[in-house]
Amino acid sequence: MRDTATPLPFPAPEQSVIATSNLTRRFGSKAALDDVSFTVPRGSVFGLVGENGAGKSTLIKHLLGLWRAQAGTVRVFGLDPVSEPVSVLGRIGYLSEQPDLPEWMTVGEFIRYTQAFYPRWDAQYAEELRLQFGLDLDKRIRVLSKGQRAKLGLLGAQAHRPELLLLDEPSSGLDPIVRNDILAAVIRTVADEGRTVFFSSHLLEEIERVADHIAMLHQGKLVLCAQLDEIKLQYRRIVLHFDTPQIQPPAVPGALTVNGSGREWSILCNQPIKTNFLTRVIDDQPASLGDIFVGIAGGAHSHA
Amino acid sequence: MILHLNPASGVPLYLQLIEQVKHAIESGVLSAGEQLPSVRQIAEELLINPNTVARAYRELEHEGIVELKHGSGAYIRESVVERTNSMQKARTVVRSSLDRLDTFDLSEDEIRRLVESELALRRTSGQKRKKHA
Repeated sequence: MRDTATPLPFPAPEQSVIATSNLTRRFGSKAALDDVSFTVPRGSVFGLVGENGAGKSTLIKHLLGLWRAQAGTVRVFGLDPVSEPVSVLGRIGYLSEQPDLPEWMTVGEFIRYTQAFYPRWDAQYAEELRLQFGLDLDKRIRVLSKGQRAKLGLLGAQAHRPELLLLDEPSSGLDPIVRNDILAAVIRTVADEGRTVFFSSHLLEEIERVADHIAMLHQGKLVLCAQLDEIKLQYRRIVLHFDTPQIQPPAVPGALTVNGSGREWSILCNQPIKTNFLTRVIDDQPASLGDIFVGIAGGAHSHA
Repeated sequence: MILHLNPASGVPLYLQLIEQVKHAIESGVLSAGEQLPSVRQIAEELLINPNTVARAYRELEHEGIVELKHGSGAYIRESVVERTNSMQKARTVVRSSLDRLDTFDLSEDEIRRLVESELALRRTSGQKRKKHA
């Protein structure tokens, strides 16, 4: 009875759009991806975070079937993207950090050119996006600003209404106004048709706005993967007051980080902590995502 | 209803939304029977995930604050007014406590910290957390 009543943290693999299990990739002796297993539920906005070199791009290359898994498996729509690239890529809209656009084409030519690759291209939707993004049909791509290029890239990725929108650092190096336009497009995608969005970003603000699930890579390892709201409810920043000054950081069972000096110590934890009669909780707040990441990355370091 | 969210806060966005809707009811901005903006409208206006707004609405329905009518949106329930009344009564208790605190000459921040540390104490000393706490 308990088994049926307990909801699974993620849907079963057949309901997931992306599923990797024990995915490992080595470059020489360095593991770029180390035993990474996770699933992306259909209809979710899944944010992948991690510092530069954590393995985010390597993971995305595997999802696109550009690289073959050295160990473990990758499934997108239940298919292997390496052996069935056409069935997989035709259902993905992909935008990379620096979209590789044909410089000599005009915006209009690029739209017609991209359309030819996708049988399910929605010309009316493409036109809607073009007007929204304020892109001039006759302008050459060569003269577009970085923000306009990103928007054109997004148009190309979105106008065939893909089941999965895959964005690799979509707003890296863009100004806040363009970033908001991109976020709005992502939101519209999900609101319209319940499609799945997977995006990597180092901007926590962005992730916190739009993602409902997040995963964090650190040195090739998946150190966190859960619903964002659950993470926020679980992790707390607690300030403890000790009756006597502590010379060394006090040992607090369940604490991920301990910072402070003297009588007051600030603790990041993801479970209730036990205090004794010599300590008092003087503050207890939900921890910010930034706080949590630093705590987890730091913790992963010391265990390594 | 004007909504302000702080994504960088540790408080999940759906909880912030719930708080703001409750606050709008308590302060009379929203009244019984009134319709809330659609999930899509809020998501596009605040640039947040529609799933988050939908979750907030589901929780508000679960708490008996709104009624979700299929296809037409979320409406403030009549019974919420009752709860608003008890909030109004509680408000007078808070107000008189604050009046009595005047003699201690504390800053607003100090009072807030006192209240928050008392609440934190209750949480960690193992008292059952009420759903509406």
